[in-house]
Amino acid sequence: MTEKVFTKEEWTKALKGLSDAYRVFVPVKDGDFHVFKPLDEGKRPDFDFQNTRLSPKSTVYPRSERMFEYTVDENDPEANTLTESEKDYSPQAIVGIRPCDAHAFQIVKLNFDNPEYRDPWWVQHFESTTLVGLGCNEPSSTCFCTQVGGGPFNEKGLDALFYDLEESYLVRGLTEKGEEFLKKVKGGTEADDAEKKKAEELALSAPKKIDVRVPTDKLKEKVQTELFEAPFWEDVAFACLNCGTCTYLCPTCWCFDIQDEVLDKEGDRIRNWDSCMFPLFTLHGSGHNPRDKKVQRVRQRFMHKLKYYVDKYGDGVQCSGCGRCVRYCPVNIDIRQVCELMNNYG
Amino acid sequence: MMLEYTEKIRKTAKKLLEDGKVDVFIGYKKGSVAMMNEPVLITNPDHVDLLYWDSNCGLNLCNYLTGRTDRVGIVANGCNSRNIVTHIVENQIKRDQLYIVGIPCKGMIDHRAVQRAVKQREILEINEEGDGFTVKGMGFEETFEKKNYLQGNCAVCTHRNPVEYDEMIAEPVEEQEGVEAYRDVEKIEEMEPGKKWGFFTRLIERCIRCYACRNACPLCYCPTCFVDESQPQWVGKSSDPTDTMTFHLLRAYHCAGRCTDCGACERVCPMGISMRQFTKKLNKDSLDLFSWEAGLTLDQRPPLDVYRPDDYNDFIK
Amino acid sequence: MKGLFEHIGIEPGRLQFSWISSAEATKFVEVARAVAKEVKALGPAGHLIKRRAEVA
Repeated sequence: MTEKVFTKEEWTKALKGLSDAYRVFVPVKDGDFHVFKPLDEGKRPDFDFQNTRLSPKSTVYPRSERMFEYTVDENDPEANTLTESEKDYSPQAIVGIRPCDAHAFQIVKLNFDNPEYRDPWWVQHFESTTLVGLGCNEPSSTCFCTQVGGGPFNEKGLDALFYDLEESYLVRGLTEKGEEFLKKVKGGTEADDAEKKKAEELALSAPKKIDVRVPTDKLKEKVQTELFEAPFWEDVAFACLNCGTCTYLCPTCWCFDIQDEVLDKEGDRIRNWDSCMFPLFTLHGSGHNPRDKKVQRVRQRFMHKLKYYVDKYGDGVQCSGCGRCVRYCPVNIDIRQVCELMNNYG
Repeated sequence: MMLEYTEKIRKTAKKLLEDGKVDVFIGYKKGSVAMMNEPVLITNPDHVDLLYWDSNCGLNLCNYLTGRTDRVGIVANGCNSRNIVTHIVENQIKRDQLYIVGIPCKGMIDHRAVQRAVKQREILEINEEGDGFTVKGMGFEETFEKKNYLQGNCAVCTHRNPVEYDEMIAEPVEEQEGVEAYRDVEKIEEMEPGKKWGFFTRLIERCIRCYACRNACPLCYCPTCFVDESQPQWVGKSSDPTDTMTFHLLRAYHCAGRCTDCGACERVCPMGISMRQFTKKLNKDSLDLFSWEAGLTLDQRPPLDVYRPDDYNDFIK
Repeated sequence: MKGLFEHIGIEPGRLQFSWISSAEATKFVEVARAVAKEVKALGPAGHLIKRRAEVA
């Protein structure tokens, strides 16, 4: 596997030089926080960040996306026929994605790309994407990736991984896509032994800095219905505002809503992120709403993430430990505490 | 001081619950993340030690009163108590259901301003001492004066003491004088229309329509919000900029003459949008045109609710 | 509402209010004509008009 070293300035120049081969997304400072944006003229990547506020899931799965177009003009021979909207699936590279977010893409993939169902928009976007991850030298206090099958230098879901060696970056290819990326990136030198050693040391020491314990070992053996009826849900749910913050910031949340919008005779079928926190989420056409109480919706979210997903896929929890919900929940509902309550119940 | 407040709140809550004067007590418990606290509902007098109060209690607990039919004990500072008054005037809760524990408030800390001040390094701990506070993180420790890091609404607050309460846990604090509360609104009023539109478009550019602002606001208690209606669909649900502007504009308008500038909407926004710019304009108009500030008295009905012959009429042909 | 619309940059004069009772037919016609003329003079509205959703 190729291992190259770039000085930090060389790396920015090299990324800018990729514009013919990829649409390159990098973390960019936007006010108080960072967000993944295309590296166009005038933007400076800033890799000195803990993590972006919104996860990079929007590079593959936008907040609002036009799926189909149609006309209701009876004179048009194509009236009332849905035509798939044209999209740009040209190759893109997300450079600087954290391992937790790359792991999250693998979790979401189980939903959007499986033998039964393949979501054409998500799949085409994802397949044209190369993930070049940046390992975390200093995980934050809200990170808990090591507790859910990941880690600050974990390679799950990444095509390439780069290490911040202070003055330079060491970039290592992990998959075919990653090797191709490294071939296209100009400049850099072969990594020498000292640099490789430094990278290894970083990878070994970072996970030790995460000292929070979020137990998930007993979740699988719990009986779903017993956990469902547990008495602690009322306490957990009290503060919740039922806003969409946790679901929208979460890299593993995948729910969406489809809306038709018609202006005169032209219509669009649009898909928007939806949230199980919203009362409308489970409103039936009949008017009945099986989850019209806040506590039912809050319970649903945690059961889905930490129990139903565990039971259905046998692949661990539907969480990559990025900590965004912990940090940005406006009322400080902490998934780490809820997970502990669920794991130790009974 | 905050420790004394906390002790008194716990004592008061314990007594209220033990004496059966209230069924539940609503307050804050200390958060799991620095500068955050979590609203909590206590039913058992033995659990009152969870209750906590400091300068990071910037949400609006009145939000949790809507639709309750039991007897509730609740802590309330100036702005929160005004929202409780508005709730009573609007028939969302009855006065005799409530036991209000009044808290004189010198303002809440703007956690985003503090993060900016330490250049976004992660703050792991915050401790208040007197009129200042110290934040600690990995390899750094800095002390600040609270008055320089107040939330936007707290810095211009002229109603720090609760207006309605059953008991106060401390002596009232001095109200601020000579505050220019609407300087920022005036600056916008002086812009020309093209610049104004640009300002507001940029303000809500980041909005992801999570509705945290609406849900944190005690005034937003409609069973079905206008954005959630589908027959007819007044507003689209996507991130389209026109729909997003419509949401913020109309939400602010629904709070006209009722907003107490508690700042919860700005505090909860995950994208850090300063949406008080919408409601502040309406609060200023309310004051200038109708001499009205929301939630100050249980006896008067708000201006949009009642007709007075001397109502402001200049805008009507 | 008029204040808020103007505050965000909608041109003054687009939103106008008038008290007209059902018995004041003449006034209704006058006001309707006057407002239509004034608003037309402002040109097509550029703000808060949704065409196709601006989404990905």
